[in-house]
Amino acid sequence: MSSTAAAGTIDHHHDSTTVTGIPNKKLLMWAFLASDCMFFGCLISTHLIYRLHPPPGTPNARDVFSIELTSFSTFILLMSSLMMALAVNSIQKGNLKSLRWSLLTTILFGLIFLGCQVYEFRNFVYEKHLTITNSILGTTFFTLTGTHGLHVLIGVIWLTAMLIYSFTGRLTEKDSIDVESMGLYWHFVDIVWIVIFTAVYLLEYI
Amino acid sequence: MSAPASTAHAPGHELEQSKFWIFVQLAMLLAVITGLELVTVYLPFMKWILISALVVLSTVKFMFVIFYFMHLRWDKAFCTILFFIGLILAGGTMWALLKLFGVADSKPLTMLEPSAIVQAA
Repeated sequence: MSSTAAAGTIDHHHDSTTVTGIPNKKLLMWAFLASDCMFFGCLISTHLIYRLHPPPGTPNARDVFSIELTSFSTFILLMSSLMMALAVNSIQKGNLKSLRWSLLTTILFGLIFLGCQVYEFRNFVYEKHLTITNSILGTTFFTLTGTHGLHVLIGVIWLTAMLIYSFTGRLTEKDSIDVESMGLYWHFVDIVWIVIFTAVYLLEYI
Repeated sequence: MSAPASTAHAPGHELEQSKFWIFVQLAMLLAVITGLELVTVYLPFMKWILISALVVLSTVKFMFVIFYFMHLRWDKAFCTILFFIGLILAGGTMWALLKLFGVADSKPLTMLEPSAIVQAA
């Protein structure tokens, strides 16, 4: 229910039908993301606290982590954010073909990120013998990055559902708020990774 | 009749077109900042300088993503306020937890010498 300007163009940033002037779906998503900030904030600080006081026998994180793989994952997630922004831009212009390509690329980048995470987890468990139960580093690391990975997986499923829905012919420029809300979620996953990349990985190399 | 209509479309259309290039340039910038972060950790400077540099760089990335990719720059200010309420609460919680458990007194007993545990008791 986006408002329409006199000339017939759709104003994608304001909605005159709501009290706040913001589409309800967008408002809901921002409220959810604000609450998710607190969730990830607690997980990140738990990891950092145990890194400040590592109990005896905790493996050296620098020997376990692979900065090359993580940097590649970070780059992939940043590029997926670009494709998601372009997907929102496409639907706002009513360009369905461009939307589908952008969504497909975002899904592909999301799957590459998840593949890297699965490879990393397997490597940690089988090569570096770091599991979720055998050390506090493993517990906090796998809980934090696993929760983030779960968010990425949910995002990929959502993107795939939207891509399929775009072929039904019911997705039009007027429904761009649905794609935009999904985009907000996807970008949030990216900003959480920006913090994790610095707080969990890079700080270990200083 | 078509001339006024196309004139009315122009500003919005131009914004959408310019957004495309803004997003592409921003993604390149974010990739460069990520590269800078990687280089930073190997620089032979004092620890606090490196940590401060990393915090600044990741904050810049964070802000660029929320204001441009997430459209906060073009949306109503209430969206920014709503998100920053969550962000400030999360940041405050993190700061408080790190201050509380970062001090030496919060070290787990397993890290201390047995004599120190007896003394503490």
